[in-house]
Amino acid sequence: MKTVIYGFSTEDLLDGLGLAQRIRELSGEELETFGFIVGAEPDVDGFDVIYKMGYAPTDAISKAILENISDTDIFIGPATKNGTDIATRLSAELDYPMITEVVDVDKVDDEIILKRQIIGGRGLAYYKFVTPITLTVPRKKFQPSKLDKKPEVKEVSIPEAKIRIIEELPKEKGEVDIEAAEVVVGVGRGFKSKEDIQMAFELAKLIGGEVGCSRPIAADFHWLGEDRWIGISGKKIKGKLYFAIGVSGAPQHIMAAGDAKIIVAVNKDKNAPIFKYADYGVVADLYQFIPVLIDRLKKRRG
Amino acid sequence: MDIGVLVKASLDGNMIRADPDGRINIENTPLLISEYDRNAVVEAARIKSEVGGKIYVYTLLTWGPTKKKKKELENVVREALALGGDEAYAVVDDRVIPCDVTSTAYILSNLIKKFGNPELILAGEASMDMLSSQMPIRLARHLGYNVVTFARKIELSDNKIRVTRDLEDKLEVVETSLPAVISVTGEINRPKLPTLLQIRKAFAKPFKVVGLDELELEDTGRKISYSDLRLITITRKNVIIEADKLEDIADILIDKLIEEGVVRV
Ligand SMILES: Cc1cc2nc3c(=O)[nH]c(=O)nc-3n(C[C@H](O)[C@H](O)[C@H](O)COP(=O)(O)OP(=O)(O)OC[C@H]3O[C@@H](n4cnc5c(N)ncnc54)[C@H](O)[C@@H]3O)c2cc1C
Ligand SMILES: Nc1ncnc2c1ncn2[C@@H]1O[C@H](COP(=O)(O)O)[C@@H](O)[C@H]1O
Repeated sequence: MKTVIYGFSTEDLLDGLGLAQRIRELSGEELETFGFIVGAEPDVDGFDVIYKMGYAPTDAISKAILENISDTDIFIGPATKNGTDIATRLSAELDYPMITEVVDVDKVDDEIILKRQIIGGRGLAYYKFVTPITLTVPRKKFQPSKLDKKPEVKEVSIPEAKIRIIEELPKEKGEVDIEAAEVVVGVGRGFKSKEDIQMAFELAKLIGGEVGCSRPIAADFHWLGEDRWIGISGKKIKGKLYFAIGVSGAPQHIMAAGDAKIIVAVNKDKNAPIFKYADYGVVADLYQFIPVLIDRLKKRRG
Repeated sequence: MDIGVLVKASLDGNMIRADPDGRINIENTPLLISEYDRNAVVEAARIKSEVGGKIYVYTLLTWGPTKKKKKELENVVREALALGGDEAYAVVDDRVIPCDVTSTAYILSNLIKKFGNPELILAGEASMDMLSSQMPIRLARHLGYNVVTFARKIELSDNKIRVTRDLEDKLEVVETSLPAVISVTGEINRPKLPTLLQIRKAFAKPFKVVGLDELELEDTGRKISYSDLRLITITRKNVIIEADKLEDIADILIDKLIEEGVVRV
């Protein structure tokens, strides 16, 4: 089967190769693998050929892939925003089915089953693997093994496209790694202002944690950096404790804390969905409760 | 200039029902407007206030049984009309259920061509339930439109459209020409709940429901459909800590967290 793995970095290509190898393992079919890397130098073995091209709008990238490689059975790209955009352009052009963010591949009764998360992570959808197909993979889900083949690298030019990039504005890189934190205090829209989040930092300091937040706090209000954004489109928490304050508990947020050992929720609405996902819940106004909690913690420490 | 908005009646993530074997029970899981489609409607209303024209709301019911779900779809459409839509067109047909994004895009493109045929179409970045993020591009392909995804800002001038795309590590400002499909992020605006007056007015706005026959379609163009939808079970302790005084609640909570070994004092 002819497999094309594209991406914007060597890591993207490795993620895709990991998934391709898993499919090969289960299907027993040999794979011919082509790489396509955009705006970076490939530093990876295990491909027959790697094409490289300068950074360009997504429609130019998908066009270049199709112009250089034909009769593809499987496209694999990264499950990032641009990765998904390109995957869909390829699929729409060739009329291929596509499965976004494959998290698992299994064999059931002689059939290969691909799984992906739905409903913000509350559910899993199963799909029978067919070819041709387009797939996207999340970061580090599938690790490739034995990378033997040394690829030939071919540079390709950027084709004409319908979208023109006018300007790029880099986002500030955060320095916090909440995915590695054992304790995370989560800030939601229950907080009324940026200054009030100080309370969450104080609590986090007392219980030895970092501060994370829901998507609107980071992406919309910019009260905290995007490195603190928890959710399906943000970071996943896997530590001992997630302490969510003024967070409603949308699956897109709270399912990303599914691996936390204990979840605590503070919310003034007793019907907030977050209580269904929590081990311990406190129904209270955060502006009254959190100062008291901080005070009691301090008293215990003496 | 007329604007189309795609609005999906999505499974409510906080109200999912499952059968004893873990399969999601779609019939008993309520539908509501997909979160970021509200942003798309509000953005369409903003653009309309600048350039005039009509806002068409388009939807296709992807979850059945249609007899039961049609009412919920109507509520979703009324909400979109209350938020700024002028007219709505919906496809409701048993033959398209369960629907995948490939066939939905194909059928919606026919609905759009037949009713309104606007030059600019807005959609959400991803639907709340299926999160496939494929619809805008697949639809654009059928219509022969340009397409830009993940818009945080949209600016129109003459035939040009300038879009600020919100990516993981940067904002990317791009330009393309109309006709176009644009998918918007949840951050493009802050939708308010519609007022009572807006809701009342929505009931007077035109709303047409059609089946495949009216669209003269025989085939749904379905490519791939899920073979199973399963609920991920969550087992948490669900203890609500109660006491008369906040101090006591705080103390009980601290004790619990020490007991669990997640906090040290
Ligand atoms: C495709 C898609 C992807 C998404 N990805 C993400 C993601 O990665 N991460 C994410 O977080 N969201 C994501 N979302 C958005 C998600 O659906 C919710 O809109 C979001 O998580 C809500 O954030 P929130 O809980 O802070 O705000 P709200 O839902 O507004 O909740 C605020 C809560 O605070 C409580 N409250 C208010 N005042 C007080 C007070 N004084 N004291 C105590 N409690 C108070 C309220 O009762 C309410 O429950 C996504 C949505 C979609 C459709
Ligand atoms: N059945 C549908 N009816 C109308 N619009 C839809 C439908 N499915 C998806 N969309 C639109 O396409 C966007 C992306 O959906 P998806 O590709 O499912 O992630 C949604 O936010 C909607 O705007």
